[in-house]
Amino acid sequence: MPFAGHPDYGHIGALVEDLLSSQNKSEKQQVVVIGQGNVALDCARIMAKGISHLVDTDITSSALEVLKNGVQSTVVLGRRGHVQGAFTIKEIRELTKLRKEGVNVSFLVRSDELDLGMTHASEEELEGPGGRPKSRIDKLLRQAAESFYDESTLDEKEISLRFLLNPIEFLPLDDDPSTLGKVVCERTKLEGEPGNQSAVGTGEFETFPAQMALVSIGYKGVALDGMQNEGLFDPQRGVVKHVGGKVAEAAGSKGGLYTAGWLKRGPSGIIGTNIMDAKDTVITILKDLAKQPIYKKGGDIDKFLKKRGVSVVTWSDYENIDAAETRIDRKRTEVQPREKFTTVNELLVAAGV
Amino acid sequence: IECACSGIMACSTCHVVISKDWFPKVGEPCEAEQDMLDLAYNPQHTSRLGCQIVLTKELDGLVIKIPASANNLMDFVPFQD
Repeated sequence: MPFAGHPDYGHIGALVEDLLSSQNKSEKQQVVVIGQGNVALDCARIMAKGISHLVDTDITSSALEVLKNGVQSTVVLGRRGHVQGAFTIKEIRELTKLRKEGVNVSFLVRSDELDLGMTHASEEELEGPGGRPKSRIDKLLRQAAESFYDESTLDEKEISLRFLLNPIEFLPLDDDPSTLGKVVCERTKLEGEPGNQSAVGTGEFETFPAQMALVSIGYKGVALDGMQNEGLFDPQRGVVKHVGGKVAEAAGSKGGLYTAGWLKRGPSGIIGTNIMDAKDTVITILKDLAKQPIYKKGGDIDKFLKKRGVSVVTWSDYENIDAAETRIDRKRTEVQPREKFTTVNELLVAAGV
Repeated sequence: IECACSGIMACSTCHVVISKDWFPKVGEPCEAEQDMLDLAYNPQHTSRLGCQIVLTKELDGLVIKIPASANNLMDFVPFQD
């Protein structure tokens, strides 16, 4: 992502700047974010805050410039209800606290949409396993829906969290077909069993004028070369087939292939979830090594990489990068933690390799 | 135990369960801590994030349970029973 300084996405800044500045002056500036995970909320929060509220953070200066005073209206929408939302409570809470922290952004949630999403199955989801975090989110969102914003905030910025809206069409501007004009959504209703509800169209539509739309709907695992042919990959779920982390053995293979993380479980969970997941896989590896030690000794990886002509940045090289990024003359303000390098070349020069 | 986020309440790797007798002395987690406990594996009523408990003389003898999901870095230390 450009605000994290990822070297592959430096070009996005100019594109975003272009789209955000193309606004017809009589219309409200609005961005639609499709998706309801933490990344979608992050995008909304960063875009709404603008330069003044992010200047002391480690957002790269080039990304910061693009944000200017912050996007006037951001709509974060998803096709299911708030109980099914992939976001976690910390990120929602940050949005509810913006005004209190002196950021002129209102966080808008509609109680009618919270009610619409409260099907009997959703109620059961709140009571079932994993219900504790969702119940706390439900309470917090209901509080947010009842928040009162006075008239003086009407001209300021807002983030709306909308539910049960399925985006079905991007339409261009009437007088400029090369640019996005609106996002058309269909109102949905939830149907199905707890834990498995799907969003079904109702035939009612809502149109959002938008200068830019961001899609943040998660990741799907991709098979490595040859995996599909060997039947080792489930393309529908985007995961490798495994037992306890050991990849299902292809005919004629020596075994010894393991998996951990999102490729193993699907794209869900945070650092903590992955730690448990990795432990499971490691237990399987150790069991296998005890039974049938194919590789008894760890190889000398430095020699191996050298033989293949692979250059490496070592930890002490990274420490050079760290020192360079945190140099006082590089930073916008004293409080800013660091000004990141955003191209691989700059990083290598700083590393001193 | 392992502390992946360096103690800033941004993960739940240091999740511990305080024994019931000691919980009143240790105290309830604040809202931000509760938000992270939501994401821990199997949080209990007396769960806390280890990084947020400040040890004082009053807590000498504190009894906690380290849940299976936490990485006990002392596992291989041969304590005398």
